[in-house]
Amino acid sequence: MTQEAVIRVDTEALRHNVRVLRQAVGRVKLMAVVKANAYGHGSVECAKAFEEAGVDWLGVVDLDEAIALREAGVRLPVLSWLHAPGETFERAVEFGITPAVSDLAQLEAVAAAGAPAVHLCLDTGLSRNGAVESEWEALFDRATELAADGLVIEGVMSHLSNTSPQEDGRQMAEFVKAVGMLIERGITPPLQHLAASAGALVYDGARISMVRFGLAAYGLSPFPDRTSADLGLRPALTLSAPVIGIKRVKAGEGTSYGFTWRATHDTTIALVGLGYADGIERHAGNRARVLVGGRLCPVVGRIAMNSLTVDLGAAVGARPSTTTVSAFEVGESAPGGFAATVALGDPVVLFGDAAAGHPSVDDWAAATGTINYEVVTRLSPRIPRSYR
Amino acid sequence: MSAAADPLAEPGGRAVHPALRWATVDLAAYRANLRHLQELVAPAELMAVVKADAYGHGATTLVAAALEAGVRWFGTLDLANAHELRAAGVGDGVALFAWQFGPRETFERAISERIDLGISSLRQLEAVASAVEAVSRALAPDAAAAAPVPALVHLNVDTGLHRDGALADEWDALVTRAVRLREAGILRLRGVYSHLAEASDEEDTGSAELLASCIERAARLGATFERRHLTASSAGMERPELRLDMVRMGSNTYGIPVTDGVSAADRGLLPVMTLSASVARVKRIAAGTGVSYDYTFRAPRDTTVALVPVGYADGVSRRAQHGVTIALHGKRYPIVGRVAMDQFLIDVGDDPVAVGDEVTLFGTGSRGELTVGEWADLIETIGEEVTCGIGARVKRVYV
Repeated sequence: MTQEAVIRVDTEALRHNVRVLRQAVGRVKLMAVVKANAYGHGSVECAKAFEEAGVDWLGVVDLDEAIALREAGVRLPVLSWLHAPGETFERAVEFGITPAVSDLAQLEAVAAAGAPAVHLCLDTGLSRNGAVESEWEALFDRATELAADGLVIEGVMSHLSNTSPQEDGRQMAEFVKAVGMLIERGITPPLQHLAASAGALVYDGARISMVRFGLAAYGLSPFPDRTSADLGLRPALTLSAPVIGIKRVKAGEGTSYGFTWRATHDTTIALVGLGYADGIERHAGNRARVLVGGRLCPVVGRIAMNSLTVDLGAAVGARPSTTTVSAFEVGESAPGGFAATVALGDPVVLFGDAAAGHPSVDDWAAATGTINYEVVTRLSPRIPRSYR
Repeated sequence: MSAAADPLAEPGGRAVHPALRWATVDLAAYRANLRHLQELVAPAELMAVVKADAYGHGATTLVAAALEAGVRWFGTLDLANAHELRAAGVGDGVALFAWQFGPRETFERAISERIDLGISSLRQLEAVASAVEAVSRALAPDAAAAAPVPALVHLNVDTGLHRDGALADEWDALVTRAVRLREAGILRLRGVYSHLAEASDEEDTGSAELLASCIERAARLGATFERRHLTASSAGMERPELRLDMVRMGSNTYGIPVTDGVSAADRGLLPVMTLSASVARVKRIAAGTGVSYDYTFRAPRDTTVALVPVGYADGVSRRAQHGVTIALHGKRYPIVGRVAMDQFLIDVGDDPVAVGDEVTLFGTGSRGELTVGEWADLIETIGEEVTCGIGARVKRVYV
């Protein structure tokens, strides 16, 4: 990675997305999920932007992530829901972090640590975190006792599998049942939350009293068949790096390891100082495209640890924001003169906002056979982030 | 608390927080690899490549270990990495080699800190020369003709890889200018080098011949280089005749295999990184129960699943959901369902498992786990991408 590679995060886009999502879900509380370095966007800066945007809660996976937010001065309520075996939760109390507990042992530890409040995390079908139905009675009974001693059962939560409306509906019914069991015990948690980005946008009935937005808050679509623009969202992250080398390659010559690409005719390639060590998936070689000088150019050859190469001779005109990727595949070859207009230092956009003509995160996800979440989350923390 | 947290005990036995996930980096194995490779390539010298935070292992700590093993050359990729090492106390008796520069790179600090520079173009060479003048002026502002502080330059030939390096038709001009600068005391010709594409032995041989002819042409132009280097882990191991004066090795030093069908152990190398986690949840599920997003896995029978708190944010690719196995109590169990951002599940059948049990994702194989090379094969990539991708939430534990 050269020092001039940069991830730009548009915090106004983050605030815009929060406004759009708030509009979409109505009068429920919003949690912005900033785990995993805010899906690669940078957790502290994004947390602060979400705080300004008026979200009610922040969500992270583990206490280390939560404490990092507190140490950076983030004041919003923070929920953390995946804990190491043997966690004592004293640091959660010290830093004012609310734990979500998945079993009796965690509940006891939270109470023993003197935490003022807790969320109960339930498995309604995803089979990951959360107490399973057979454990609910004991968990809720104990929570009721602890509540009598002053522990606030502030929330109850679960997570959908997004398998199908039927399966998600079954999970919602399970969740309602669990809440009913709590109410029978005289506990009505004010924060009942089940839906993340996908569920919150699709199911009115899943919103209850709070929704958790991760991916959508960063402007990316959780749906394979709908783009960010379809949802009125603005992708906040743009990854770019300068051209650090330009080279003529003759027909038959290759580039990068193993020569998985060879020039079919004389062409010009540009070297960019980003590679798989920076989180650019190696599988994107010969599959993804980048924007250089207003044109889309294919990444050719293997992506190396610290660099990738781009065929300037195969450039096609910039994609209008409304054109789909498949329509774009038929674009004609660029005139030979384009490569000559590209200079050292010119910015190369790997991905960003399709509305600005950039390749989208979804384009890269499709090129590498994964999902947009993974494309941004795997970006190395060593790439400098810049916020505006 | 299970033994899972023990690796994180800090010196002095102070209680530390239990860990969800950690990567153990075996410094003794790293040093052993370095010593083995030094002997193997001798009389050529070994450069240990520690770019990309030492392939995810942690550059500062690994360089300290490598110094104990007698390594005196390190490849850092860029100047920022080299400066970090100097700042961490790696003195200028130790060579730090950087070769990837931004188009607006300035070299003053690199000159002052005696960083070895891989130079690919006239443009870079001129920037280095200007930096030498600036640094020399700053050191002796009053002296009219102070001796400059020479830059440590390695000229880079593109012998086919078509990344950096001067093309053969740019070579004479680059050398001619470098010779003039050397005569003026502006630089030392510390080396000449190239990098192989490893597409085929024939093409690598062609690259080596091109490098040799470029060195001959340079000699006719008055350039003699202190050392020649061409090969990295793969050819440095497989093609002894191409080792020249120095071999740059990254993957081998970390015990990551680079040749298809040949394990690190086959080459006498030890895996350095072991990725581990604590089981965070255990669940008995009934036949037909779906797990993780989209229920891509439904239990074919009643079974037990264990939650491993490591996900693609931590460097476990979503590709790992197809065929990767995880070691628990010396036995391998398949990942089932989608790998999520922070976690995945393994199917342990009817075997016993408890919260807090330690699982090993990849490592030496001594606990029944995959090696990083086997892991990489299963997700159709290379071990280097796996270790480089291990995320910041995974604490590195040095043993």
